Amino acid sequence: MSTATSTPTGTGKQPGGRQASHKHSQASKRGRVQQRWLPWAFLAPTIVGMGIFTLLPIVASVALAFFRWDIISAPTFVGFDNFAEVVQDPTVRVSFLNTIVFVIVAVALQLGLALGLAIMVQEKLPAWLRVFFRSAFFFPLILSAASVSIFMRYLFNEQFGVVNWLLSLVGVPAVPWLTTPGGSAAVVILVYVWQNFGFSFLLFVGGLASIPVETYEAASIDGATGWRKHFYVTLPLLSPTTLVASVMAIINALQVFDQPYVLTRGGPGDSTRTAVMVIFESAFQRLEFGQASAIGVILTLIIMAITAAQFRLSKRFVFYQ
Amino acid sequence: MPGTNGALRQFTRRTALTALGAGIVGATAASWPRLTGTDIPGRGDNSLSIAIMGTAADAAARQKVIDAFAKVHPEIKVKVQAIQAVDWKDFFTKILTMVAAGTPPDVVYVATEGAQLFAEKLAHPLDEYLRRDAEHMKEYFEDVHPSLVEAFMYKGSLFQLPIDWNAANMYYNTASLRQAGLDRPADDWTHMDFRSTLAAMKKAKPQDFTPYYWTNRLFGGVVPWLYANDTSFLKETKSTGGEWLWDGFYAKDPSRSLRSGGYQWLEPNADDPRVFESFDYLRGLVKDGLGVRPEEGGGSALIGLFASNRIGTTPAGGYWVQGLHEAGMTEDGFDVQFFPKWRTQRHQFGTAGYAIMKTAKDKDAAWEWVKFSSSLEAMRIVFPTPNTTPARRSMVNEQLYAGTGPRNWKVFYETLDKFPTTGPIPAPPQQAAVETALMKNVSLAVSGDERQLKQALESMQRDLELALRRQP
Repeated sequence: MSTATSTPTGTGKQPGGRQASHKHSQASKRGRVQQRWLPWAFLAPTIVGMGIFTLLPIVASVALAFFRWDIISAPTFVGFDNFAEVVQDPTVRVSFLNTIVFVIVAVALQLGLALGLAIMVQEKLPAWLRVFFRSAFFFPLILSAASVSIFMRYLFNEQFGVVNWLLSLVGVPAVPWLTTPGGSAAVVILVYVWQNFGFSFLLFVGGLASIPVETYEAASIDGATGWRKHFYVTLPLLSPTTLVASVMAIINALQVFDQPYVLTRGGPGDSTRTAVMVIFESAFQRLEFGQASAIGVILTLIIMAITAAQFRLSKRFVFYQ
Repeated sequence: MPGTNGALRQFTRRTALTALGAGIVGATAASWPRLTGTDIPGRGDNSLSIAIMGTAADAAARQKVIDAFAKVHPEIKVKVQAIQAVDWKDFFTKILTMVAAGTPPDVVYVATEGAQLFAEKLAHPLDEYLRRDAEHMKEYFEDVHPSLVEAFMYKGSLFQLPIDWNAANMYYNTASLRQAGLDRPADDWTHMDFRSTLAAMKKAKPQDFTPYYWTNRLFGGVVPWLYANDTSFLKETKSTGGEWLWDGFYAKDPSRSLRSGGYQWLEPNADDPRVFESFDYLRGLVKDGLGVRPEEGGGSALIGLFASNRIGTTPAGGYWVQGLHEAGMTEDGFDVQFFPKWRTQRHQFGTAGYAIMKTAKDKDAAWEWVKFSSSLEAMRIVFPTPNTTPARRSMVNEQLYAGTGPRNWKVFYETLDKFPTTGPIPAPPQQAAVETALMKNVSLAVSGDERQLKQALESMQRDLELALRRQP
């Protein structure tokens, strides 16, 4: 530090003392200025980027929710009309309901599958196989959701798909996967879970690795075996990981778009139409950008409320060592 | 050596930071044309920018036409910009985004799906240019069926010249037909004949075979059946006007009295009993295993399945011929017939052509491009193979289908000649919302019992009312 190595000042009698003092005070001033502004200088690109590409669109989107705008004509202020129309629109209501059902089923499956496989892989498999499965389960996540969905469309085709062909080998008649409400919802959930559980799986693997072996040993000494060990040791100690995994899974699932859009276009009927899909259709197909923004604002508020509730509830079930 | 290490560390950090900074500046400078969008064809210079739906390869394929155009109009520089899109709806969205960004192209290739959207909001009418160059354009209109032209009329003005088009005709697999012991269907076969044909095909080839395959979309889905049953899911009316065009170019045409100032679709019609009847017929085909429940999407897998003899029949336009040929089908392997008759034998078609944007920098130059593109010379360059049906009757000939089939290629243009009421896809300016409303209810309507069908049509009526609530 410059202050520790500099010459003592204040007498003004030493040759060059005033100069040295001046230099010192300049250096220390520069240091203070640096201390104060340098972090901001490093943060500036990110802050500017966030401001332009995140905050500004959010503010613009909220503002747009109070206008009617079709890109071509000038926007007109309509107050809360967009919100009123959105709330009354049965398609929007159904899409939100679908999204909630989707979140409940898909997140439960995703977390359940990820946790089960993580425990199995961590405990039952040799190290080299663990590495293989970690990669294998994570692999679908790096694929484009749209490409995966296009591929799955072929797989689940009623007449010519591989899935029905395999089922026919064991005598199961052709299932109309993508053309009935139940079938299409099942396929959308299946494809989504298959593609996304890898992330939760990795979180759980990390969480399991951080649980001290001594805790299990102590539990064993106390007589805990098998499921009891998992129930009373693994699950409580994994609760912080579970919280993170569930928050991320719920936020992602609430924004599901690619899989239902490519697989079913939201059909048949509205059976697989989701909230984000309605935002896309309102904005880019019907050119009702105000309505799309209004739906976006409502969805954002729902996501914020659910996340806040999760963190609040977490105080009751999350245990930290 | 601490001094060396320190110097090295300092040197490395500084160098790294300098290099990083220089790299960022260099990359920004190198990407400047991309960042500012000046590398987009026609941007920043006085070139006429033409937007088409397709890939960069499609844009490159237009080069021969651009070269031919340059010989006639060396003073007009043309750049073609291909925009990749899943379907026309997607393409129009991208064009609208360009408009919103303040960088619209000067000319856009627009299909029926977007014709009224463009006419209402974005395109410049061709009326004055056509009046001015009437003598030159006479030859074009003599060669193009008025039904196609009428599809591009909007409120009495013409906005595009049809370049290519496709009707929903019925393709059939000749091998499957022979196997069922049937001959080529009659030109006036009915919807019940069609059903019997499907039943015979299924009986002859029950395994791994679908007699009728159709997709859930505006073209070739349920609409041809509605048209054949003399109805539609929207009430079809026509606007007044347009006499200047019809009297000027089609005065002697036998169908002159049918022509108007353009189609209008202002109200939903899904509660019409004939709509129910048409859907119920399709529901019967699905129920009896003669047809599939239609899937959402473009049916891109269909060509391969048809070429491998796993599909008996499907509605499609002339655009299918080249695809089937490339998939390995011989000219005897498939054929085409008019869509089956019901109360009428009115067909559905879609057409496409260039629209001049209101915002075009030089509308006169844009008109020269539109005019040249409709010439025989340009159209022969653009359509060397049967991957669509050219709008000019003279080009739909033996030569175009030689080596590819189908044997009865005459069906394509005769669809217009024999059935002059044949009409365009119902596509009002709110087409995207209308198409969504149609598609989302079709699968439900034909996949369940009668109660589900009624509910789906009620839902369609409600959705269409919402889609059409704001009239231009």
